[in-house]
Amino acid sequence: MKVRVDGTKCEGHGRCYDLAPEMYGEDERGHCRVKHEHVPEGLEAQARLGAENCPEDAIEIDED
Amino acid sequence: MARCPHTAPNPDPVTSIVDVVSPEFTAHPQPVFVRVLEQFRVAKTIAIGSPILSRYEDVVWALRHPEIFSSEMHVLIGLGTERPMIPQQIDPPAQTRFRKILDLRFSRARVLEIEPEVRRHANELIDAFVGRGECEFDHAFAIPLPCRAFLGFMGLPQEDLDLFLELKNGIIRPPVNPLDLEAAKAYRTKTAKRIYAYFEQLIEERAARPRDDMMTYFTQVELDGRTLERTEILDICFLFLLGGLDTVTATLGCSVAYLAAHPEQRQSLVQEPALIPAAVEELLRWETPVMLIPRLTTQEVTVGDVTIPAGELVNLLVGAADIDEAEFKDALRVDFSRERNRHIAFGAGPHRCLGSHLARMELRVALEEWHHRIPEYAIAPGATPRVSPGIREVMHLPLVWPVGGAA
Repeated sequence: MKVRVDGTKCEGHGRCYDLAPEMYGEDERGHCRVKHEHVPEGLEAQARLGAENCPEDAIEIDED
Repeated sequence: MARCPHTAPNPDPVTSIVDVVSPEFTAHPQPVFVRVLEQFRVAKTIAIGSPILSRYEDVVWALRHPEIFSSEMHVLIGLGTERPMIPQQIDPPAQTRFRKILDLRFSRARVLEIEPEVRRHANELIDAFVGRGECEFDHAFAIPLPCRAFLGFMGLPQEDLDLFLELKNGIIRPPVNPLDLEAAKAYRTKTAKRIYAYFEQLIEERAARPRDDMMTYFTQVELDGRTLERTEILDICFLFLLGGLDTVTATLGCSVAYLAAHPEQRQSLVQEPALIPAAVEELLRWETPVMLIPRLTTQEVTVGDVTIPAGELVNLLVGAADIDEAEFKDALRVDFSRERNRHIAFGAGPHRCLGSHLARMELRVALEEWHHRIPEYAIAPGATPRVSPGIREVMHLPLVWPVGGAA
């Protein structure tokens, strides 16, 4: 499973790093920074939770 | 001409059903929102007939397209300012440059630095009335807490609290006959001059004697290789004063009024404080205290089968969008265990509320400390909470709780 954030869509709501702190962090502006491009085993649910709660649809998940 | 990509129809675009200033509506807007969502793609306000967008996907689309739905409308909004407030009333690309330097100071990491101080303020306020077994929540807690937090965040003296509240109220709710628009305008203009003067003096003080605080930052930070103009700093500070206080006050009031009326859900927060962050989000969604965001069309735009002309004021009813069944499962149920909650109580797109991280922290800390200290409370028997139009502040919220042996 792979995760990427579209920096042109992210507006810094911070829902991802509030809800799934092991998968997502914040840059100095408070915008999303993906901690693991390749999702480590066991963090799949966190990866999806962050993506599902993004009000800007900025987080893309590749389930393969 | 722009066109919204979503294809839902608009059964009856001409009927007007939303009276956004009636007290019944501001106290419990959700039933009206449901009716709007069910019946319209584009509704209209009763007072001036300006179009309303209410569906989640339409509102988000509008918020993400400032080139069509502009925020550059300070004259129309008429708050007595001499220039647009920065960055709320300017659009990208200029807005983006200001957000870059402001976001640095409003990140979650920055906000968490003042969390212990906000917790202390919350407890000091509660100390003053907890033994009495009653308080009027708005004046005793919801108004002073965000103001204290804001003063601390800005690095300003707490002694200025009363002055700040007076200046803010002078713009938002001028103490004149509400029907006398000229008097309100004159009062706002006079208050705005005092606000500019207050911050102007601070700029001079910090320029002369820099400190480690927000005002000093404004006097030193560079934007495109230059320092900020004095007027730009004033236009930022003006927005902070208006945006940083009332909105959190309103959200605290709406949230606690809800919890007072729903003892089982209140009890769940007392027993399991770890639920509070999710409860903050769910109450933001359900109550959406800033229920309406205005925009001005820059061009003709078609939404469904309704064409809105250029230069029209459009009301984005975020309160309705936040209970749209198309986005939220069981949208009318207030559920603190909701897994997916993409509410837009803080807006969306480039104008996403700059202070959202600060607001979230204040709300979480307030609910944590309140329920720790006052776990059992109810609306005073016979009292009816009164909610203001516009930003939904619960201006009269008398609460009671057991004291001494009763607990």
